[in-house]
Amino acid sequence: MAMIVRASPEGLSPVAGPWWSPFTTTAGVQVVHVALSPAPACEAEAYGWLDQAERDAWHKYLPRPRRQFTLCRAALRAILCEQSGCRNDQLSFGAGSHGKPFAMAEGACLPLNFNVSHSGRHGLIALSVAGRLGVDIEERIPRRHLEELIAAVMGPEEQAELAVLREPAKLHRFYRLWTLKEALIKALGTGFSTDPSGFQAPPAMRRGGMTGVFSFPHLPSVAWRLEDIGDERFAAALAYELEGP
Amino acid sequence: MATVEERIRKLVDENLEIEGRPVGRTLDLNASLRDAGVPSADFIAFTKVVAEEFNLTFSPDDCSRFQSLGDLVTFLDSRG
Repeated sequence: MAMIVRASPEGLSPVAGPWWSPFTTTAGVQVVHVALSPAPACEAEAYGWLDQAERDAWHKYLPRPRRQFTLCRAALRAILCEQSGCRNDQLSFGAGSHGKPFAMAEGACLPLNFNVSHSGRHGLIALSVAGRLGVDIEERIPRRHLEELIAAVMGPEEQAELAVLREPAKLHRFYRLWTLKEALIKALGTGFSTDPSGFQAPPAMRRGGMTGVFSFPHLPSVAWRLEDIGDERFAAALAYELEGP
Repeated sequence: MATVEERIRKLVDENLEIEGRPVGRTLDLNASLRDAGVPSADFIAFTKVVAEEFNLTFSPDDCSRFQSLGDLVTFLDSRG
């Protein structure tokens, strides 16, 4: 299926395939971009990589999320097979109590952490051999109820900072903040049980900084590195766990 | 008086978007919002709207446990 480069003994190496390509690498975390524009031939090839459980799930999705799921999951499978040396038919996925997926080969957990996000025509897959990580991507689509979204997911200082902005700066800032917060929640792996309005992005990053260190108020002993990895096409953020003292 | 299903469909119509487009009243109640492609931030905001509409304490985590909107309607109906 894929023309992917073999992993180096030191860790993860850049990978490329028919619809995915290296996006960025930082501190041992590799991020791959997945192209999600309609591509019937790629989608058919990707479907062939899915196992029966994934094909059952495939039928439940509406057409657009179905394409996003199929192309991202097949790319993830190809990358995990390449990096771990397992075969696709040995690979399966489980999920934690809050739905965060993990990979197994013949029933044994792979020593690779990964996280996947997609929005519109773009997906990102983040991989690391050490530590939890989360990634989030959002196309900056205008929103009908932006104020309600801000009230629902932002903390008080974030809301105040957004309130003084006008469009399109407000929309741009909303997506930036949201991807930072969502990447942190995904890295933590607690899903919707963590209220995004209950914590705030690091102040330096809210002022425009591209990187920062964060700890959840209820979990101060764990530090996370947070990076804005967005570009002109989309807002995106990466969060990964820093080693303890 | 509107039924629970009608009220949920109205909330979906008024509040949920997928990639900038309203989900609309034609959404299949057997589908989950995740399978329909509703983004996380919208899901959280929708949960708060539902809690307000039905005057209940209802977190996004609670809402995510329902497999479909139909299950949510069934739960709300069961509360009387």
